[in-house]
Amino acid sequence: MARMKFLCDVERCIDCNGCVVACKEGNQVPVGINRRRVITIGEGKPGEKSISVACMHCSDAPCIAVCPVDAIYQREDGIVLVNKKTCIGCGYCFMACPFGAPQFPSGKVFGARGAMDKCTFCAGGPEKTFSDAEKRLYGQNRIAEGKVPLCAAMCATKALMAGDANVIADAYRKRVFARGSGANAWGWDRAYGKK
Amino acid sequence: MNIKKKFRVILPVGVLALAAVAWAGSPQILQPAGPGPSTASFTAINKVFTGDWQQYGQLFTSWQGGLFNRIFLLVLTIVPVVFLLHYIIIGAKSFSHAGTPIKFFGILTRFLHWLAALSFSLLVITGLMVVFGKFIGGGPLVMSGRSIHLIAAIVFCLSAAGLFLIWLKDMLPMPHDILWLLIMGGYLSKKKKPVPAGKFNAGQKVWFWLATVGGGIMAWSGYTLYSFAAPVDQIRQMAILHNLLAAGLIAFFIIHLYMSLFAVKGAISSMLTGYKSREEVAILHSRYKI
Repeated sequence: MARMKFLCDVERCIDCNGCVVACKEGNQVPVGINRRRVITIGEGKPGEKSISVACMHCSDAPCIAVCPVDAIYQREDGIVLVNKKTCIGCGYCFMACPFGAPQFPSGKVFGARGAMDKCTFCAGGPEKTFSDAEKRLYGQNRIAEGKVPLCAAMCATKALMAGDANVIADAYRKRVFARGSGANAWGWDRAYGKK
Repeated sequence: MNIKKKFRVILPVGVLALAAVAWAGSPQILQPAGPGPSTASFTAINKVFTGDWQQYGQLFTSWQGGLFNRIFLLVLTIVPVVFLLHYIIIGAKSFSHAGTPIKFFGILTRFLHWLAALSFSLLVITGLMVVFGKFIGGGPLVMSGRSIHLIAAIVFCLSAAGLFLIWLKDMLPMPHDILWLLIMGGYLSKKKKPVPAGKFNAGQKVWFWLATVGGGIMAWSGYTLYSFAAPVDQIRQMAILHNLLAAGLIAFFIIHLYMSLFAVKGAISSMLTGYKSREEVAILHSRYKI
């Protein structure tokens, strides 16, 4: 079985935020929630790097470990999904997540948190595939349609890749090799002046 | 000949060009390498995303992933079993209701106590609903439990603050409290011997301070967990604090229930009517000045 993963190539990401907008618009994400975000380090300085991060769909995911109601589960292909009808909005997953992926809309009572929302890898949710409930609660189910997630599909520089871990890792490896820059080889930048 | 002439021109130009390149290049060589390698930027990105996770993120994940549940389960099983054994082996104390009863609690005290009791019970029940949410399926039921937890917390804070002011003077630690703790308030023997205690014994004092000061800490950490108005690492610390303190409070809550309902027969009536029997005061609150 394929293991789905995201991979963001920091050498290629140009901080256009297209992935964020595509995800928000395509999945009709509630106001105030970003399932994906782009951060930039060293902005305006030489060596500025950007990276786009959403849920990483971790192996042995911390969010699943801490959820008191077992609302979060992992599919066989590695995609981590939340059942919004079981979620109680306690926020433990947000505290456990190293990547800040879980997001919470404001609920109905006293502005308490509603059910958690996060990146679904565009794989919908536990509702019936392609049903209205699935679309309303979780957004598109592009995986069931045989497509890659929206964010990766629209990425202009193809910095963001999504799919079978072996395939995208191989593509990335070829890129690093083709750059011929020693981007990941220790000491090359200093010894040969190559970046 | 022609080629030689051309060569004479090209050679100096070529040498000059090479020198120019070398001159332009040399400052770059002397400068530290500008853009770092990807691995260096990974380190910087890690600081933004996962840096502080190693602190309390990891601790919170491992504790919430099992330890907290086990602690709550232990509190809910071991404490009642211990006191059931106490009830079977040593049994309840009962006092004669002869003589004029002694006024112990005013009407405001009793009202605030029952308000605090009701809200605290709701806090314990709804809190445990979240802790053991997976066994009741989560969803709207536990979600509404969270809402009740919030309302009950506000009611408890107000009533506990009132009780704190009313009882503060009588709850200050006294030297005889150590004696009381050494003999465990005489609850380990069947004999009715006067125990060293004023209006409140050392056990009640511990419960008082735990419920008021501990309750304040619960309110503070609970507000952080409710509002998320803090850095994420601080929220994690608050979650750890809230869970551990809650386990302690629930343990003492069960003890308080046992003492008032079972250990001393008719003890609960003093909080209903405001009066304690004369013998009960003489034995259990021997230093109380009537």
